[in-house]
Formats: sequence, C-alpha cells, structure tokens
Amino acid sequence: MYKVAVSGINAVDNPGPGIGIAKSLKESDLEVMVLGLAYDAMEPGIYMKWLIDKSYIMPYPSKGENLLIERLLYIKNNFGLDAVIPALDAELPLFIKNASLLENYEIKTFLPTNDQFKLRGKDKLPEVADKIGVKIPKTKVITSYEELIEATEKLGFPVMIKGLFYKAYKAYNISQATSYFNSIVEEWGYPVIVQELISGEEINVVGVGDGEGGHFGLLGIKKLWITSLGKIWTGVTIKNEKLLSATEKFISEFHWKGAFEFECITKDNEIYLIEINPRFPAWVYFATGVGINLPARLLKAALGLEVERDWNYEPGKFYIRFTDDFVTDISEFQKITLKGEC
Amino acid sequence: MSKLNRLAINEEGFIFDPDTGNSFTVNQTGLLIIKALKENKTEKEILELLKEEFEVEEKEAQRDLIDFMEQLKLYGLLEDKNV
Repeated sequence: MYKVAVSGINAVDNPGPGIGIAKSLKESDLEVMVLGLAYDAMEPGIYMKWLIDKSYIMPYPSKGENLLIERLLYIKNNFGLDAVIPALDAELPLFIKNASLLENYEIKTFLPTNDQFKLRGKDKLPEVADKIGVKIPKTKVITSYEELIEATEKLGFPVMIKGLFYKAYKAYNISQATSYFNSIVEEWGYPVIVQELISGEEINVVGVGDGEGGHFGLLGIKKLWITSLGKIWTGVTIKNEKLLSATEKFISEFHWKGAFEFECITKDNEIYLIEINPRFPAWVYFATGVGINLPARLLKAALGLEVERDWNYEPGKFYIRFTDDFVTDISEFQKITLKGEC
Repeated sequence: MSKLNRLAINEEGFIFDPDTGNSFTVNQTGLLIIKALKENKTEKEILELLKEEFEVEEKEAQRDLIDFMEQLKLYGLLEDKNV
C-alpha cells in the first residue's frame, strides 16, 4: 500500500487537479491510499472519503518552505507518506526547490527542474516555440505604461494582456488595456505581456515527461464547452499530428520531467503555443478514462517502478463534467477545523 | 493522408474531424458528395451520382455540388488539390 499525498482537492467551480489525480490513482493497478493536502476546511475533497482517504490542512505556500516540510514530515511520521503529487501553481516552486530534501526523507516526487519550471514564463515562450517549430502570437514584454501604449499601437486591438505566469485578459481598447495592465502590475508586478489575439481552435495536450527526453504518454484534446471561468466542461480527444509531434519535441528538447499541460491554438494549419503549465490540468482524468493513466504513471516513475509508455488512444472520445452532491456529518468539519486533519 | 480522408463519417451524416475536434452534420446530399470526394470521384462523376440518386436536373445538382464544396473549403475540410 502506497501512501500518496495530492493537493488541489478543491473541487469547486475553478477546480484543482487533485480529484482527477486521486480518481486516477484509485483506478490504477497500484494499491494507493490518497492523502489530501488542503488549504481550507471547506475544500470538498476533504469530505470525499471514497477518493481521499485522509486529509490535512497545509500551511499556505507564502508562509515559506520550513512550515511545508515540517507539515509533510508530520504526516510522514504520524501516518506514513511515500510520495507527493503537488498540483497547484503556488506550491510548485517550494516543492521543486525541496525535491531532493524530500527525497532524503524518503518522500518521493517527480517534478520538473527549476530551469524547466522557468520555461512556463511567457517571456520564455518565444525560445520554446522556436526550438520546437511552432509559432507564438506576436508578443511584447513591457514594464511601463508608455510601452503599453506603444505595444497596443503596434499590435492593434483586441490584444491579450497577461501576467508573466498568471492572469490573462482580452482588451478591446486602450482603457481596458490600461485597467488590466494596472491590475496585473498590482497583483503580480512587472513585466506584463501584451500579445496579439489569435482566433482559432483551442487545443491542449497533457503528458508526463520522463526527464530523459521521452515520455510516459500524451493525450491531445479540444475543449468543446467551457464555463465562464474558462474551465472545461465537455471535451473531445483529437489526434493532431502537428500538435503531438511539437509536444514530443518539447519533451525531447528540454528533457521535461513530470506532468505538464500544453495550451495551443491552431489556425490555418499552424500551431500557436499559448501556455505551458508545469503540472496536471484539472481534466487529467480524461487521459485515465481513455486508458492512459498519467497520474499512476507519474507515481510509478516517482517510486522508481517500471512505467507503461503506450499511448495509443482513439480520437473522438468524449469528456463530460457534471455537478454532484452528498451529505456527511458535521463531525468531519469539526475534526479538520480543530485538529487540521480528518 | 488528406484532410478529407482523415474525417470520420457515419451513415447518418455525422462527421468528426480528429485533427481539430470539430464535428459537423450533413444531409443525405452532403453525405453522398463527401463520400464520393473521399473515393476520389471527379466532379462529373459526382454530378451523375446526384442526378441518379435524387432525381434532379443537372443545373440543380451542379449548384448543390459547388455550394457544398465551397462550404467544405470554408471549414478547412477540402483543399484545392482535392477538386
């Protein structure tokens, strides 16, 4: 029995990937006990005992690495912990930085290196796109209001205004652009990215790189229906050779290690790279559902077990999210609130 | 493989493009044309098929064929070299 901690168990309208990961691990050929790492007592995953066997409240990543390590060691010493699959953007820098320390404590991870992690920065996308033979929308990296004016004049409206790592807004005029620029600077600081808007088909890939230039499987999809927050609600598997071979080139070129999501737009037979997420997306169960259990494969890689590499899936498989509910006792809430675990 | 040949088409006229994830529905006329195009039939052969199957005049068949092929091109499903 492997005891594996998974974060992102906030199965809400902006869902974290944790439930999809937990569901995949439970459906794998490994015997896994899933430990949920939560940041709020209201995260629904805490109460979904059929997927998350036990949950722990974690210190916020902003509190620093010492508290995180302490908490993980507490879990290891009191319950047992073989591996962690962090799934939230804000946690990843801490986990990546401390991967070898955790390894010393026999808590396994399978994460990108710090250099690979930096590739997700939108200022790095031109370099990535160039190396793997895809395009990117015309992009300006700016650090002042004057440069914002200049960039929008050159690119024309509408444009995308983005933070280096997070947030993306569509601006149709200079007043919208200015307001989004200010809001990003206030929250995330400089630089800000101004990008040409490419209207085409949004297509995505999820995969796990083996860290040596190969991978443990890929799945290409198109989001067919998204919520107002941009979250997938229905999707379909696709086999776009250009997209999949660009993804394989990305993995081999950068020796990507761990989970990732590739977000692209295809237009006029060209692929435009929009974003690289260095973790599983919330729809990762889609891969498991078509026979490529990426979370289980990542876990096997972390544990040093033999990992399957087949990824021959059918295009035209349909993914559907739905809402559900259940009832439990308030004692669960009481335990997680008072003891920080349940 | 040409774009047209990669399309998954069922007998009820549901078409799925595995490249982009787009799906389309066509009527029986569209279905006949798209299947004939996949079989590399010429425009003249397709016209004959349309006249025979739907008992229409040459002019009407020609108009339907041109319209439909333009639609296919518009959706990126037909390249000029196919016609």
